[in-house]
Amino acid sequence: MKESSVLKVLIADDTDSDRLILESIVKKEGHITISVANGVQAVEAYEAEHPDIVLMDALMPELDGFGAARQIKALAGEELVPIIFLTSLNDAESLVKCLDAGGDDFLSKPYNRFILQAKIKAFSRMRDMNITMQDQRDQISVYNNQLLQEQSVAKHVFDNIAHTGCLDASNVNYLLSPLAVFNGDIIVAAMRPSGGMLVLLGDFTGHGLPAAIGAMPLASVFYGMVQKGFSMVDILREINQKLKQILPLGVFCCAGMVDFDFTKKRVKIWNGGLPDCFIYHAESKELQMVKSTHLPLGVLDDNSFNDDYETVEMLDGDRLFVWSDGIIESRNKNDEMFGEDRLKNIFTNNEYPDGLFESIVDNVQLFLGMESRDDDVSMIELKMVPQDSVITKAKNLVHNRSVGLVEWAMTLELEPSTFRIFDPLPLLLNILVEVPGLRRYSGELYSILAELYSNALEHGVLALDSSWKQSGEGFSKYYEERESRLAQLIDGFVHIHLSHKIDDSGGKLLIRMTDSGDGFDVAGTPSELLANNVMNSGRGIPLVKSVCESVEYNSIGNQVDAIFVWQEE
Amino acid sequence: MPEAVDLDTLTMLKDIMEDEFDLLIETFIDDAKVRIPQLKKQLAEGEHDELMRNAHSLKGSSSNLGAIPFSEKCMKVESQAKEGNLNGLEGALSDIEQEFNLVESALKELI
Amino acid sequence: MGIQSHFSEDGQELIISIQGRFDFSAHQNFRNSYESVEGTPSVYNIDMNETTYLDSSALGMLLLLRDHAGGNSSNIKIINCSADVKKILTISNFEQLFTIQ
Repeated sequence: MKESSVLKVLIADDTDSDRLILESIVKKEGHITISVANGVQAVEAYEAEHPDIVLMDALMPELDGFGAARQIKALAGEELVPIIFLTSLNDAESLVKCLDAGGDDFLSKPYNRFILQAKIKAFSRMRDMNITMQDQRDQISVYNNQLLQEQSVAKHVFDNIAHTGCLDASNVNYLLSPLAVFNGDIIVAAMRPSGGMLVLLGDFTGHGLPAAIGAMPLASVFYGMVQKGFSMVDILREINQKLKQILPLGVFCCAGMVDFDFTKKRVKIWNGGLPDCFIYHAESKELQMVKSTHLPLGVLDDNSFNDDYETVEMLDGDRLFVWSDGIIESRNKNDEMFGEDRLKNIFTNNEYPDGLFESIVDNVQLFLGMESRDDDVSMIELKMVPQDSVITKAKNLVHNRSVGLVEWAMTLELEPSTFRIFDPLPLLLNILVEVPGLRRYSGELYSILAELYSNALEHGVLALDSSWKQSGEGFSKYYEERESRLAQLIDGFVHIHLSHKIDDSGGKLLIRMTDSGDGFDVAGTPSELLANNVMNSGRGIPLVKSVCESVEYNSIGNQVDAIFVWQEE
Repeated sequence: MPEAVDLDTLTMLKDIMEDEFDLLIETFIDDAKVRIPQLKKQLAEGEHDELMRNAHSLKGSSSNLGAIPFSEKCMKVESQAKEGNLNGLEGALSDIEQEFNLVESALKELI
Repeated sequence: MGIQSHFSEDGQELIISIQGRFDFSAHQNFRNSYESVEGTPSVYNIDMNETTYLDSSALGMLLLLRDHAGGNSSNIKIINCSADVKKILTISNFEQLFTIQ
């Protein structure tokens, strides 16, 4: 508060004695005065001196107070320069004239010193506030522009990652405002190498950049994995994990994911937090709902994540609708909600299924009115059609289940210098999960590799006896011995051979592990014993046996073939 | 009979003006001595707008000096002139002149 | 919009009542209601009797509370929900993380 600051006060009064009195009153408050005797001089003095406050006599020669006030106010523009009219006019009409001319207050004659001083103080405060307000407004304007800049950069990055995929396909209609990403809305769609279509509609919590940030890794993971042939479940799980990892606590993504199979005429739907998906059966005109039965993405960790989905048969001509809550929750000027009933009615009243989508869009826009924002009204319509009639400019239109690591073989040969210090299992697992069909079995595959490798290394190459592991001290003796034998080992090897082929229903992975040990009496060991974990030679392989289609040893017992079979979902 | 000048007002003015009090009094008196003849001239030439404004100014400045009866006389002239009716104002103007003499004497006693 | 919290008689439960709109503007108050209390309740009761509105930022705030209360081992009940509030909680399947009455 600058109440004690010195002000420049312009005094315009055509009476000499009155001017003298005003000058003295104002100077006594410590302010500086500029005195003029008519309106023209008043305006000139304003331009030259830029006073903080003006005391203006109403009636003056040349240009009266009203005229001078108008000109000064015009010159001041946005700046608040208070004008206090000095007048012994006391009829209402004249006082109104003062205000109309831009006057902010009056001071009547005879002048009361205290009243004038109080008014000057009050207007000075007002003037300060006005200056502060304008500064803040200018700052806000600058920040706002910066924000818009940042948003447009973010949008640019986003557009590069979250391209439209196959949203241009002939059986797809969608509504997504260009700035929807800043409302947390996203739609991604891509053709699977096998010919189906995967679509995800997401609604992130929040607004602005924070809402847009989650969309980028989501789109990146989605498009990256689809083209490699991964399934809906694989992709959902990966996206959930990624979002859980990077989003702050409390931020999540309500989402619906759809796997459209044009050949089997089937749709798999996973709904976590979106409103009911509608399936409109063209012939029966029946409306089927798929409710949200899952928590949104980014909430649960991978262990708790539920990837169960609903499977629905759809004939050619049937349509699936997925939307964010922006439609049902949109409110018009009277604060009424669009609501699910209104939405259902559009279907009930519809005569022409091809026009359903337009009809919904029109209804919503009519309801909302012209001026309202609709950048959180996002929806997609997918029509079931014959496989060949799906036309899209998108890449990956290869109708081929064979994509990614399909038929291949590799051998990893490990020598003592390596297996002394290196655990090959994570490396092997990394390769295996790049095979779309094997990814969801990563747990089992790890266990298989672990059991077989441990046998090959410890019982084969190092010739350790597992019976030591039975007792407490035997246990530590076993591991001490393991360390020392490993350190002293000069010759020896473990060869891990993997080969993979696919067939009509899925695929087969062969895991062959060979070690340089002496083997064991294969012929003399009943298979039940092999399934047991407790054996003299320690070659118990209970898990391997339970999960693999077959497990066979060579005659010496230093090579094992485990065959793991997987089915297409 | 009301005082020609209100002493309370003048005391306050003295406090405000300090050393310039005398200057103020002299300025007022000089100004009035110009304006009063002007009033007569304006009446004679029928210039009621200028007459009105002149009377208005005098009314204001004299009120600031505490010369209440004088100020009221000016107000009457102002009102009438505003209506455009200049009849019978000669009398009002002599009244003003006479009142001014009283005001002048009273003020001169204070400097 | 007001948020108050108080302990049950035995000091084991913390009851948080939310009046009015439970949206982003309630963020600071909601956090204060459970962070600035003394003692560690074993049960949290969120009383929505006077809650008129709930949106996704409120759901986020509930997740924050859940994390504070021990995550998977937390015991949080959301009680006296109106039909509207319940609907929002149901669509997001929050009954999988909270007990909803």
